[in-house]
Amino acid sequence: MTKKVIVNFTVNGDHETREAEVGQTLLRFIREELHLTGTKEGCEIGECGACTVLLEGKPVNSCLVLAVELEGKELVTIEGLSKNGELDKLQQAFIDKFAFQCGYCTPGMIMAAKALLDRNPNPTDQDINVALSGNLCRCGAYQEIREAIKASAIK
Amino acid sequence: MLSYDYVKCSDLKQVFDVLQIHDHAYLLAGGTDLLVGMRGGKFAPRLLVDIKGLEELKVLKENAAGITIGAAVTLNQVAAFEPIVKSAAPLAAGAHSVGSYPIRNRATLAGNLCNASPAADTAAPLYSLAAVINLLGPDKQRSMPIGEFFLGPGKTALQNGELVHSILIPKPYPAGKGVYLKASRTGSVDLATVGVAVQSWGGKVRIAVGAVAPTPVRALAVEKAVNEGGEKDWTKVAKLVHDDISPITDLRGSREYRYHIAEVLVRRGLELTMGV
Ligand code: FES
Ligand code: FES
Repeated sequence: MTKKVIVNFTVNGDHETREAEVGQTLLRFIREELHLTGTKEGCEIGECGACTVLLEGKPVNSCLVLAVELEGKELVTIEGLSKNGELDKLQQAFIDKFAFQCGYCTPGMIMAAKALLDRNPNPTDQDINVALSGNLCRCGAYQEIREAIKASAIK
Repeated sequence: MLSYDYVKCSDLKQVFDVLQIHDHAYLLAGGTDLLVGMRGGKFAPRLLVDIKGLEELKVLKENAAGITIGAAVTLNQVAAFEPIVKSAAPLAAGAHSVGSYPIRNRATLAGNLCNASPAADTAAPLYSLAAVINLLGPDKQRSMPIGEFFLGPGKTALQNGELVHSILIPKPYPAGKGVYLKASRTGSVDLATVGVAVQSWGGKVRIAVGAVAPTPVRALAVEKAVNEGGEKDWTKVAKLVHDDISPITDLRGSREYRYHIAEVLVRRGLELTMGV
């Protein structure tokens, strides 16, 4: 039998108390329990960044975190960026600059970029490369992604 | 889904008690190697013991003894800690070169060492800085130079029921320059094909090389030629690194390539720390 543990946490600003299965990754918990499917699964071994979320304000690979580790923590997923139906300016910049093709990497890219802009509002190309080095885009939209981040930085 | 139990500990006594009663208990700090290893079948824990919350293991400080880095301190914290950036440059660079930024938000220095990969990016830097590993067990504490901690791929001097408590970069710090140079297949998110740490100490050097032997190794022949022989021809002296390494061929590079690139990185390291 799979053991369950009660976890208290905040997701996108709301307090939640849920049961999490021991052994469940945060990624699966977000998608299958919280039904927030914006966060994507790619590799499940920390190599692609599609699963990037903010835990305590910092970007982490949710496939490498256990759901039970959420206790007492603050989680922000891609669904938490828009406010009152308005996209975050970084999301809008991704649209304006066509910074995706299939869009699968996009939520992870945006979360990693959001965290970068929070700690460094005016990043250089090099800063962007370092911050997003863990996010792969198989469609190869890297150039446009950099442009979207820079556009949203100077707005 | 993986099946095991989980316990979050709030003090060390609880950790040791749990480790004593349970077989197949694994310590969980950053989890970035552990979770991947579990998924791949390399580790099969019955119990995960979460030690991230222990205040005592979150210590990151500088005092008269040097810089102490607790077992729960992440690689991003290590790479950004001012005294490390200032006085232990190879470690700051090595920590910064592991994985990606989100991985370094979770991954710990102690975990990188306990995983005991010969290619661990933080290991060669710690050799070059003469770091000391502090181990703690249920009833005794012991310390050892980093060179005695690594025994082979995946093997360390840790005994059953023991954990890495902290890592010390002892004072006096080397009054010179230090670098960590890494050759890898991609610019980031890859293990080192070869990693070289060079730290100068007022005209002398200490050099360590990763991913070229079952454990990280010191380039003792190079050090001797420079420190005792007064050799200044870096191209010539860098060749001596071959005496201390025994690389293998794997997906990251051939044995021959590793011999070559180790020599190149040692030469560059000497140029950068000792001048051209
Ligand atoms: S799914 Fe987490 S990094 Fe790829
Ligand atoms: S837009 Fe398709 S993977 Fe990035």
